[in-house]
Amino acid sequence: MADQANFEGDALQYNRQLYSAAMRMTRNSADAEDLVQETYLKAYRAYHTFTEGTNLKAWLYRILTNTYINKYRKDSRRPNEVDLGTVEDLYLYRRIGSEASAEASRTTEERVLDGLVESDIKEAVEELPEAFRMPVLLADLEGFSYKEIAEILDIPIGTVMSRLHRGRKAMQKRLWEFAKERGLLPEGAEKP
Amino acid sequence: MNNECDDNKAAGCDEALENLYLYLDSELDAVTSDRIRAHLDECHGCVHSFEFEKRLKSVVKERLDEDVPDVFVARLRTALAREAAGNTK
Repeated sequence: MADQANFEGDALQYNRQLYSAAMRMTRNSADAEDLVQETYLKAYRAYHTFTEGTNLKAWLYRILTNTYINKYRKDSRRPNEVDLGTVEDLYLYRRIGSEASAEASRTTEERVLDGLVESDIKEAVEELPEAFRMPVLLADLEGFSYKEIAEILDIPIGTVMSRLHRGRKAMQKRLWEFAKERGLLPEGAEKP
Repeated sequence: MNNECDDNKAAGCDEALENLYLYLDSELDAVTSDRIRAHLDECHGCVHSFEFEKRLKSVVKERLDEDVPDVFVARLRTALAREAAGNTK
């Protein structure tokens, strides 16, 4: 059992990570702030149920995602599937390399990775349906293990893996489009 | 140096590429992970793709990271203090 008196010292250090995730969930700072504050208040009230020495960060994320789902999911009529069509694995990498020599593709890779700006990455993540966005955020933003993600989202680990796989692919497809729009690709590589 | 994998290494390439994300996410058992690392030591094509995905992963993380407004952190502390004060009454 954890002592409520230690809550602020134990838990507040994660505010930056929770806020970053909340921004990608709610897509705006006002809702993200509300979501994080509600998460902290709920966590504080329930802190006596938290087993000290276990994973506090994962516990906070579980409260964050549940709060988000309960509060915001009803607003969402967005599809919960990603249309991947014929998107292959390593989509972005293979697209970049498909029409160039090894030397030239390295140059293009650099340009794409440097040239995709914050808003491109954020939009590519935000456009993912929730079921895919959550695993991607938890893995790629927070570095949680698959097992931790399964516990946070309360889904089987196999589901985590397949959603993560599909979510990352869909994200790469969108990033490829941004790279094209931004003119980061050499002449001739702009074909879809 | 060739961008494509050599035919005689194809089996190693298949295993490496199939497990690319598991490898980068540190989700593989030690034996498989070591085998893939050994393959990467000798296969330029696979190293190239692994390096790209690894960099993409870190670019995503870096550019998703948000600065938390100081006023918000202050508000958070106030809200928690108010909650704590309410409890002791």
